Amino acid sequence: MTRSGYRRTAGLLLATALGLTASACGTDEAPAGDDAQPAAEGSAAGPVSITVNCMPPKTNKAQRATFQEDLDAFQKLNPNIKITKATDAFPCYEPRTFEAKLAGGQLETVFYVNFPNVGRLMESGQAADITPYVGELKTFKDYNASIDIFKKDGKIYGLPTDGYGMGLVYNRDVFTKAGLDPGTPPRTWAEVQAAAKKIAALGPGYVGFGEYSGNNVGGWHFTASLYGRGGDVLTPDGRKAAFNTPEGRAVLENLKQMRWTDNSMGSKLYIDWPALMKAMAGGKMGMMLGAPDVLIGLRNDFQAKFDNYAVTAMPEAKALFNGGAGYMINPKATPEQIRAGLKWIEYEFLTPGKGQLDYVRAKGAGLTVGQPYPDLYGADTPSGQEVLKLRTENANVDPAQFALWAEGSKGIPPKAEPGPYAQEIYAILDTPMSAVLTRQDADIDQLLADAEAKVNALLEKKG
Amino acid sequence: MPNLTVIPESPERPGGSGPAAPAAARSARARRPRRKIRQEFRTVVSPHQLTSRHGRVIYWTVLVTVVVSFTAAFVFPLYWMVTGAMKTTEDLVQIPPTFLPPRFTLDAYAEAWELMDLSLLLGNTALYAGGAWLFTLAIDVTAAYALSKLRPVLGKLVLALMLATLMIPPMVIMLPAYLTVKDLPLLGWDLLNTPWAIWLPAAANGFNIFLLKRFFDSIPRELLEAAEIDGAGPVRILWSIVIPVSRPILGVVSILTVVAVWRDFVWPLLVLTDSEKMSVSIGIASLSSQMPQNVLIASLVIASLPTVVVFFLFQRHIMAGLTAGSLKG
Amino acid sequence: MRRNITAYGFLCGALICFAFFSWYPMVWEVVLSFQQTNFVDPPIWVGLENFVTVFEDAAFGPAWRNTVMFTVLALVFGYGVPFVVALVLNELRHARAYLRFVVYLPVMLPPAVGVLLFQWFYEPEYGLFNQILGFFRLPALDWLNSTDTALVSLVIVSTWMNLGTGTLIYLAALQTIPGELYEAAELDGAGVLKRIWHVTIPQTKLILLVMLLLQIVATMQVFIEPFLLTGGGPENSTVSVVYLMYQYAFNFGNINGGNALGVMLMIVLMVFSAVYLRVSREDKS
Repeated sequence: MTRSGYRRTAGLLLATALGLTASACGTDEAPAGDDAQPAAEGSAAGPVSITVNCMPPKTNKAQRATFQEDLDAFQKLNPNIKITKATDAFPCYEPRTFEAKLAGGQLETVFYVNFPNVGRLMESGQAADITPYVGELKTFKDYNASIDIFKKDGKIYGLPTDGYGMGLVYNRDVFTKAGLDPGTPPRTWAEVQAAAKKIAALGPGYVGFGEYSGNNVGGWHFTASLYGRGGDVLTPDGRKAAFNTPEGRAVLENLKQMRWTDNSMGSKLYIDWPALMKAMAGGKMGMMLGAPDVLIGLRNDFQAKFDNYAVTAMPEAKALFNGGAGYMINPKATPEQIRAGLKWIEYEFLTPGKGQLDYVRAKGAGLTVGQPYPDLYGADTPSGQEVLKLRTENANVDPAQFALWAEGSKGIPPKAEPGPYAQEIYAILDTPMSAVLTRQDADIDQLLADAEAKVNALLEKKG
Repeated sequence: MPNLTVIPESPERPGGSGPAAPAAARSARARRPRRKIRQEFRTVVSPHQLTSRHGRVIYWTVLVTVVVSFTAAFVFPLYWMVTGAMKTTEDLVQIPPTFLPPRFTLDAYAEAWELMDLSLLLGNTALYAGGAWLFTLAIDVTAAYALSKLRPVLGKLVLALMLATLMIPPMVIMLPAYLTVKDLPLLGWDLLNTPWAIWLPAAANGFNIFLLKRFFDSIPRELLEAAEIDGAGPVRILWSIVIPVSRPILGVVSILTVVAVWRDFVWPLLVLTDSEKMSVSIGIASLSSQMPQNVLIASLVIASLPTVVVFFLFQRHIMAGLTAGSLKG
Repeated sequence: MRRNITAYGFLCGALICFAFFSWYPMVWEVVLSFQQTNFVDPPIWVGLENFVTVFEDAAFGPAWRNTVMFTVLALVFGYGVPFVVALVLNELRHARAYLRFVVYLPVMLPPAVGVLLFQWFYEPEYGLFNQILGFFRLPALDWLNSTDTALVSLVIVSTWMNLGTGTLIYLAALQTIPGELYEAAELDGAGVLKRIWHVTIPQTKLILLVMLLLQIVATMQVFIEPFLLTGGGPENSTVSVVYLMYQYAFNFGNINGGNALGVMLMIVLMVFSAVYLRVSREDKS
């Protein structure tokens, strides 16, 4: 470019820029962002605008397509409801952005929440009370006990759409390679330990048992293991820590032995939810704690070879950590928006034969049918029976992948998250988890005592 | 950590003063050695020492060591990245790894482009950087001109307040700044997930004002007074006298601004939460843990290309910018 | 008068931007640190409660300790090394353009890219670094996965990404030293090291000091490395003050606690910045 040409271009750009400033100084300019506000206006008569989240990500093509279909069908069915935006951030609950969006008023009208966060959101008044509206939902009366998670002081703040008990996910292919029988996975922790050792012996890169150790998921899985062993995180009144017990010690001792004595856990730390999922999907990891949904997640979101995986019951389980998720409504939503939002939840997640429970379509779209979840309705209710019937009729997965879990989990009581401060408690429990996985000389008694003191201090402060 | 601050006067060699940036670039070009060991200017080691037999041996040893270690430290990782994206996920976990990819393929790049929607992310980032550049130039040039040449009442105080912001790094005030952007005081606008959230804060840059004002101060008064006598108003003076002679410093400010916006992480992480609006750094970081390894690596390569290309093209300006002020980040 | 109106017309864009995005947030940070809010209901004043909360947090001590450690380690690697590198580069007569180019190349990568790249290099089983160690028959390291090495691993990433800046600034400074000084020193019989000690360092003292302060201020804000690589773990060994601040605001739903931490950090950094301003003003006179 010649000198004068350069100057002319620069001049032109600067002129544009000056123009922009001038208009920025004026007061008549409103920034773009028409779809940014979830609490858009909407009156009883006119159309209602809502936003939703948890649209499946682009990497999950089949589910994304069915979700889009549902968005269109739902709006056609309800011409006065307009879904102005469907967010596809993945994972749907992303700890790094959830609070940011909530604080920023960016949270959708209908938002996904996993069980660990439900308590806190109810406690801090960050979800709308939907008690007056649930009567309008046809299947509401058929809910099983999972609805209790969303209840506080007799009011209802959300609807579970997914629920399952914890189990042990394992890779059948890796089991075979290690000379283990994939048909009889471990039933005790001693067997888990022995199997993990054999798998790790397959060579470099193989990990017998993978476990979380950071970003609150470490504490989350500690809780799952502890519940399985019959322990508890908090005392029944929720005022004191209750994990500095033989059960708590056993959880950590077991991990420590696998990590350091058997060297069967690898040396990589899995510090967030997708990290372990990705490793499991990689095909060189033998086992991890997880509910049946992990299998589907591995298939749809992490491109794993689905047939290789199976889930069995949690070893020696005395109680099953109740995993799952649901939807809540933005506290700033208008009554009309709440109604519209609940209608969407009902359509997409709770109506047998529609949305996520449209098993005929799922089968045709190359999605899995037959996994024993979501487990939302009582077994003898009309909805429960209908879902079961549809599911059995259209099943396309190998029932063996879930059979051991379903069989082994029967009659084991479910157990919920440890109170409204679950996330803070998990953050504290990350420390002992990462300690036993990173330090051979980790002092388990000391770690538990420290964590206990910290949790007690936390609970005392929160009153 | 984009934190811009000043280092003392232009350190170019003897007599380097005032509008020195292009001069620096030119002299750098002239200085490039063409012959064997020849010193254009005196440094610690004397020419005498350097040309002795002993000195030559040491010199060549040091040179080879430096070149090899620099290549290993700074070029090899990039080579590993570019070729890593050509391996399959199985190749990547192979022990020991292969130095060359088994075959030349751009599949992972194509997959990264599609899965991560990189065209959208790069487009967003370009929009943010471009807009930030325009706003920064427009706002900071006019402000520095006013402070330097028009000198209004309380101008000194305004300048001091602007420079005071240099003492508090943006990281420290990220939470209230975030809340401000979310709900602009008095106006009530919500700028989250709009380009304004990047553009306007980028213009509030005390360091740019400082650089520009210092430069404008060095423009001779007579030049402006002559124009004033001819009846030119301040806008005209700024436009046809100040801006044309300030090209070097405008170049420096432009590059600093564009590069800073392109590299920024924390601020866009907070204000661009919508996956449709993310900048490329945020988009990749948020998707990193679910992508297959080779796709992730490919996306890293693609994301670094624009800045590396800019660096190739504007190397001299960027380095001159470093000496005019310092870019710390 | 007319001149003033014109001048403020010119200034209005900058004044608006600074007011909204710099001045107001600074003041508001302090205000928020004394309040409690959930963004649904109006805020309430709580005095020093937020400060007490973060002070009593189990991660508070580690966060400050790690931040200081990170800063110190980053100084060891990232402050001295570029100066030595610049000294050597300044003596070289070949490949200068190449060397200057490659040393600055990592600076041009977006930090997120650099950090994610190193995340891959640090993989314990098949990552580049352990493969290289294995090639030389050295024992593998745990890098990010051990309390002993995690923080150092973060410092390495950060140093790799920022080394070029310091090197080039020093290089420019070295070129301002008049050659006569070296000649004079040589005539006095000073060897190479003595010349560095008695000529180079005194001549670049000011810039060395300025860079020291700049680097302290920059590295005390470490965030992206723990955020993307370690999540503050293992065992809080890499949690930094800014990371904790972010956690408070966006993971624990306690933005006011985050502000309290921000105010503390602001005070510390202002001390360094004030020293820095003093130093650079001294230079001008």
